Amino acid sequence: MFGLTNLLIPAVLFFALGFLTRAIKSDLRLPQDMAKMLSIYLLMAIGLHGGYELGKAELVTAFNSVLWAVILGFTLPLIGYGLLLLSRRVDKMNAAAIAAHYGSVSAGTFLTAIAYLDNVGVSYESYPLIMLAVMESPAIIVGLLLASWSRQRMAQDLSIDSSGAAVIHQMPADDKPRWRSLLHEALTNGSVVLLLGSMFIGAISEPAAMQKLFPFIDEIFMGILCLFLFEMGMEAARRIGEFRKVGPVLIIFGLIMPLIGAAIGIAVGHWVLGFGVGGITLVAVLGASASYIAVPPAMRLAVPEANPSFYLTLALGVTFPFNVVFGIPLYHYLAELVAA
Amino acid sequence: MHRLIPEKLVTIITNDVLEHQLIKSVRKNGASGYTIVHARGAGSSGEQSGMLNIDTNIKFHVILPQERLTQLLDDLDYLIHKGHHLTVYVSDVSVLDADKFKKPMT
Repeated sequence: MFGLTNLLIPAVLFFALGFLTRAIKSDLRLPQDMAKMLSIYLLMAIGLHGGYELGKAELVTAFNSVLWAVILGFTLPLIGYGLLLLSRRVDKMNAAAIAAHYGSVSAGTFLTAIAYLDNVGVSYESYPLIMLAVMESPAIIVGLLLASWSRQRMAQDLSIDSSGAAVIHQMPADDKPRWRSLLHEALTNGSVVLLLGSMFIGAISEPAAMQKLFPFIDEIFMGILCLFLFEMGMEAARRIGEFRKVGPVLIIFGLIMPLIGAAIGIAVGHWVLGFGVGGITLVAVLGASASYIAVPPAMRLAVPEANPSFYLTLALGVTFPFNVVFGIPLYHYLAELVAA
Repeated sequence: MHRLIPEKLVTIITNDVLEHQLIKSVRKNGASGYTIVHARGAGSSGEQSGMLNIDTNIKFHVILPQERLTQLLDDLDYLIHKGHHLTVYVSDVSVLDADKFKKPMT
């Protein structure tokens, strides 16, 4: 029942195909903005679906889900940051940027998990979807806080040690106006706005009007997800080439952190929120996944000292394939164990 | 005979997350306008293929007179020191209809 045969769904197979396509150096290229368009569609469709389901949701559980999503979003990056610093192979700025990715979520992984659960016939609550929407921002904020704190510490250390030899650019004074714009960026992040907005629309629209949308958000959804995962497979394969730059320590982190996140997710999903097997699996996936669409640009802007190769390779080249191929079935298995 | 006035063209190739900061800087320095072109390539930040949000580049062009050049270059220098990857080059151009280049953007 838990064999890898459950992965023989088009979504995962297209991810593998994309990976293979790039690995054999085929000249296939998707148009430049296609991933972005597909991403927009997926967020909108999943948001509308979630909003539509929310009509049947209980307010208390919904509120608890949001609360715990925010808690997870703030806590997971702190754990990641601590682990990375413990390894003593990563500096603070890179640790902050990488950790932020793991506190956030990957909609692609989440949707693959939903496709997987649909395939094995497990139903799931719609609350994890709301959690998906709110987990993006806290992680970005924590990443910024950790980076800013480290930056100020480094500036202070320099001014104490140097006797005038080093030239330090006046960073702390400049940090204040940046805060407002970076906070603004974290909270008005494109993916978050689209997802929450679509959910809102799905929730308050007339059901009859929503029905008209189903051919667009339901019937063709899986096909679009396949295209998206195909592209992500290619991107993941491209990142594998950067493994040498990243080093074994970070790669191990990219494999261990999702397991930690999943364990915490399972704990929250079962003991705190009381979801069924499907819901627990999805919360585990939320904990285990790392963002590679929304958080990387935010970190690129806010933590320029960090190397994008590190966080992107980890999120897209290590954690995402790991979660899709091994993680989702594993978390499902653990959720079944725990719920029994 | 046409009047061609010498100006400076500043071209910046960088990631598109910096777009708003560049626009702010250019406006602050009184430039009369700017042009942005999608770009992709490879360099110090690795390959920028344009497929994902993070590896999309822009080629940012702004034409301004010699006097305003230094302030703009100071701002760009600051961005580079913060750790951002920018490729900046300045070329001499001769522009037609120089009047519009004297008015800052509204």
